[in-house]
Amino acid sequence: MLSGEVMNVTFDEKQPIFQQVADIIEDDILNETYREDEQILSVAQFSQLFQINPATVVKGIGLLVNEGILYKKRGLGMYVSSDAKPKIQNQRRDRFYKELLSNLLCEADKLELTTEDIMNMIKQLKKE
Amino acid sequence: MSIVLSCDKLNKKYGRTYALRDLDMRLEENVIYGLLGRNGAGKTSLLNIIAGGIFANDGTIEVRGKKLGKGAFPEDCCFVRENNKLFGGARLIEVLQFAANFHPNWDWTFAHKLLQTFQLDPNKKIKQLSKGTESLVGNIIGLASRATLTLFDEPVLGLDVLMRERFYKELLEDYANHPRTILLSTHLIDEIAPIAERVYIIDEGTLLLHDEMNRIRMSAYLIRGNSDAVASFTEGKRVLHTESYGHGKLAAIFEKLNDGDRLQARKLDITIENLTLQKFFSYLIEGGH
Repeated sequence: MLSGEVMNVTFDEKQPIFQQVADIIEDDILNETYREDEQILSVAQFSQLFQINPATVVKGIGLLVNEGILYKKRGLGMYVSSDAKPKIQNQRRDRFYKELLSNLLCEADKLELTTEDIMNMIKQLKKE
Repeated sequence: MSIVLSCDKLNKKYGRTYALRDLDMRLEENVIYGLLGRNGAGKTSLLNIIAGGIFANDGTIEVRGKKLGKGAFPEDCCFVRENNKLFGGARLIEVLQFAANFHPNWDWTFAHKLLQTFQLDPNKKIKQLSKGTESLVGNIIGLASRATLTLFDEPVLGLDVLMRERFYKELLEDYANHPRTILLSTHLIDEIAPIAERVYIIDEGTLLLHDEMNRIRMSAYLIRGNSDAVASFTEGKRVLHTESYGHGKLAAIFEKLNDGDRLQARKLDITIENLTLQKFFSYLIEGGH
């Protein structure tokens, strides 16, 4: 991993930062930066790398522990659960449906696009 | 949570003007605080009073439950001033050696690592350093002292973006491994947003707001839409600032929004945007007077 000097994630204002911390870790599980039963970054490393308060990192990790995505090994640190990936995918599919799609439809309504128009656009994009 | 520092009804007058007016502040153990305010808001006066450099006209300060005597310096506290006024003729390493005497938790290994991180030559004389570099010397003292109460007054003033980032990184990493109470006064508000857990916002010597950073982030919004729609949406909500344009209206609000609110906004054709802390701060100050 890079030393972190050039790396910078900007945290947007739309969600609490601890939620964004959880999202970063989830992304890294999905893209296999961390695999099953591998250890994730320590709180101090995470905090230093992304320049956020350690208490916020702890809160974000806590969220994933509650969801069974991470588990704690006493005295060692946080590890990725064996079924973390399908768990994350299920949750994100749910979010994709409830948030992304409903926002998309709301905007489409404003633009007076029909469902068929949207389907055609999706098909077009898939082809490209 | 135990309270490390508690200020009650601090008043400081210079002639007829109040630098601080009935200011209350409570700092808990092992939390990073941001102290925000414009220039002249009273940040430095407050810090100077806590560190015993100047006297309050009124009010009390308690450090770990014990009342602080007039002009006394709190125990195990490190105060990094904006203007260090270090001995110009001394070498950097001598200044660090001097500071180390006052701090029982001083860590020399860490201090040397910081000298490297900040690219400082320990044998240089203080008077040979630029303004920014001088504040880095103060920051090394603030960090390496590992005092249980550390106060930084504008620690990144005069530093370039690279050095500011290095400072924040070192601070966070060391704090994660050695938790302590840290107060950072700054006017670079958006930079401090992810770093501090809580903030005190002061203006004209009075406390405008004390809250968790996360709660502010999730309650500060800019509402935009038709004037009537915005007026009906913001009714009963805490509005910080409004601006009208034609038939439209902008309103900065400080209120937690629920699903019902968002549904209402959608029906009224109102857009809701999140405010950056910087924007929130300026609306709060404009609305406060």
